[in-house]
Amino acid sequence: MTRSMPTDCWYAPAASSEVDRDLLPVRAAGLPVVLYRTGAGDVVALEDRCAHRAYPLSSGALIGDTVQCGLCGFVYGTDGRCVSVPSQPNVPYGAAVASYPTREADGLVWVWLGEPGRSALHRIPDLPWLADAGWSTVSGEEDVLASFLLLHENFADVTQVPFIAPEIAPAVLGATPPPLDVVVSETSVSLHRDFPPAPLPAWQAEIVGSPLDTPYRTEQSGFFPSPAVWVDHWDAQAEDGTWVRLRFTHLVTPIDESSSRLLWAVSRDFALGNRAVDQYLDGIFTDYYDRVIDAMEIAQEVLEIDGPGPEVNVNADAVGLKIREIVSALLTAEGA
Amino acid sequence: MTETETRLREYESDLVVESYDVVAEDVVALTLVNPDGQALPAWTPGAHIDLVLTPEITRQYSLCSSPADAHRFTVGILNAPNSRGGSAFVHEKVSVGSTIRIRGPRNHFPLVASPRYVFIAGGIGITPMIPMIAEAEAAGADWTLLYGGRSEASMAYIDVLRAYGERVTLLPGNDVALMSAALDERIGTPRPDTLVYTCGPEGLLGAVEARCATWPSGSLHLERFAAKATEGAVDSEFQVVLARTGITITVPDDKTIFRAAEDNGVSVLGSCHEGICGTCETVIIDVDGEVDHRDSVLNAEEQASNETMMICVSRCRSGSITLDL
Repeated sequence: MTRSMPTDCWYAPAASSEVDRDLLPVRAAGLPVVLYRTGAGDVVALEDRCAHRAYPLSSGALIGDTVQCGLCGFVYGTDGRCVSVPSQPNVPYGAAVASYPTREADGLVWVWLGEPGRSALHRIPDLPWLADAGWSTVSGEEDVLASFLLLHENFADVTQVPFIAPEIAPAVLGATPPPLDVVVSETSVSLHRDFPPAPLPAWQAEIVGSPLDTPYRTEQSGFFPSPAVWVDHWDAQAEDGTWVRLRFTHLVTPIDESSSRLLWAVSRDFALGNRAVDQYLDGIFTDYYDRVIDAMEIAQEVLEIDGPGPEVNVNADAVGLKIREIVSALLTAEGA
Repeated sequence: MTETETRLREYESDLVVESYDVVAEDVVALTLVNPDGQALPAWTPGAHIDLVLTPEITRQYSLCSSPADAHRFTVGILNAPNSRGGSAFVHEKVSVGSTIRIRGPRNHFPLVASPRYVFIAGGIGITPMIPMIAEAEAAGADWTLLYGGRSEASMAYIDVLRAYGERVTLLPGNDVALMSAALDERIGTPRPDTLVYTCGPEGLLGAVEARCATWPSGSLHLERFAAKATEGAVDSEFQVVLARTGITITVPDDKTIFRAAEDNGVSVLGSCHEGICGTCETVIIDVDGEVDHRDSVLNAEEQASNETMMICVSRCRSGSITLDL
């Protein structure tokens, strides 16, 4: 079977805060991975399966900077090479697990599962609002029974929000939508729309503390910088020139062909550090993403039961279709 | 919901020439940066960009910098004696600090992962090979490069390439017999798990194509920067069903599908309008008639499959065609 998940991509399967001096199992692009931090603070990503027998290293123990298999006692260094086995003085030839390149940026752990030599040729998208003091963020994580591509197509589909969650959608989405500008390049795609002045959605007006009928003009942008990320910007400007900005970050890591890890984050540049607002937004968006996830899981089920039937496209699908094209080109280049 | 108008375009930006280096006789390497410091779009080896030099002159050049550099695009440009205006413009009118509009990147010459590569470049055709070779080397692949040119002084990037040692064979002197013998030795017999990448003048591409005819399908990857001649082609009127938009349009004998779609208010991507850049590649949903492929991007096999077409030049000989537009 041909692969459907690109490996030549930096994925962010965990937040920096989740990776510490213990063993964290994750799956990415169909591969089992164990994450941990060395005494010096560096993140290590190893194949999460002992080279000796089928057993996850994450069920073993972190001893210093090495990992010991909980079943057979093989010990592995940060480069994945086996450094000792309990039953004999010498390490068997070729005893090693894969060690994956890692990087930390914007409060996230990024892992490269492709050919290690190619990792330096690929970029990690900049997501500065996740770690910058000028922003406050609420976030959540979920395993989703839907493929990473289905999630991206959903994020890219500007026509879906009013149907999935009408009450959180900006009022402007219900009115005559302005033209959708789509910009493509070899490996990325973005969309942009400028909405005429309209009231903020009720939840946002409440937080900002502006009267419900205050008009804001809104700029929406969406970005697909790589199969690991979809970002939405919603920037609203009042008549007095003040801005309120929102960033919706979606970190998508394919677990296998038909399920994904979704790490979502909603960042704002207003009501900074306000715990009550955090709680309020956490409630709203946990509920919103639950609904998105439900819809995607239903779509995945249809695909699995009835196969990928014929689909009708409309012009507004240009973004989602370009994402399919980019992913397909990536897989071709990987020889998948 | 009311109708959402969708406007589709490629990334475009006005970049500034950061450096202008003569890297060989008649070859200039232009390095372009975003004046506002913003990152440029990511790309992979084999990609090219458009330089929009004047309202009339848009030309395609392969990127030869590193995809890891988010802030720079470098292109190598030959001042060809029979230039159609693009390279002469760059050599005469452009200098450090000039502003040039770019479009893209796009890639119809992607480097597919393989344990072994044979790279064959002629003259300025070396430019896409520079990042390809860097990637093959980084991935630990086994590769060789055969690089022919008029003279060593005219061949760009020789110093960079010499550092790779015996993987690289230089063939200066435009010696057709020597090149022919070298091609026979490299690709005369199909080799397993090996991909052939070639870019250069038409004579070289033809010679490589002829030798690769017996190789497994998909082994040969080549890129043309000049349109193939389409002699005796007859343009007639036909119908196109635009599936996404939901309308049927007539393409008259004096217009391309691209122009006819634009005339009907449909936003389509396109750049070179001569079938070489691949920007307007469009999925064919259904054909009732015969597609007349006139591009220089798709190979014969891809054209025969009728899966996609370049709507800036290719047509339908009669009847109608349904496109994913």
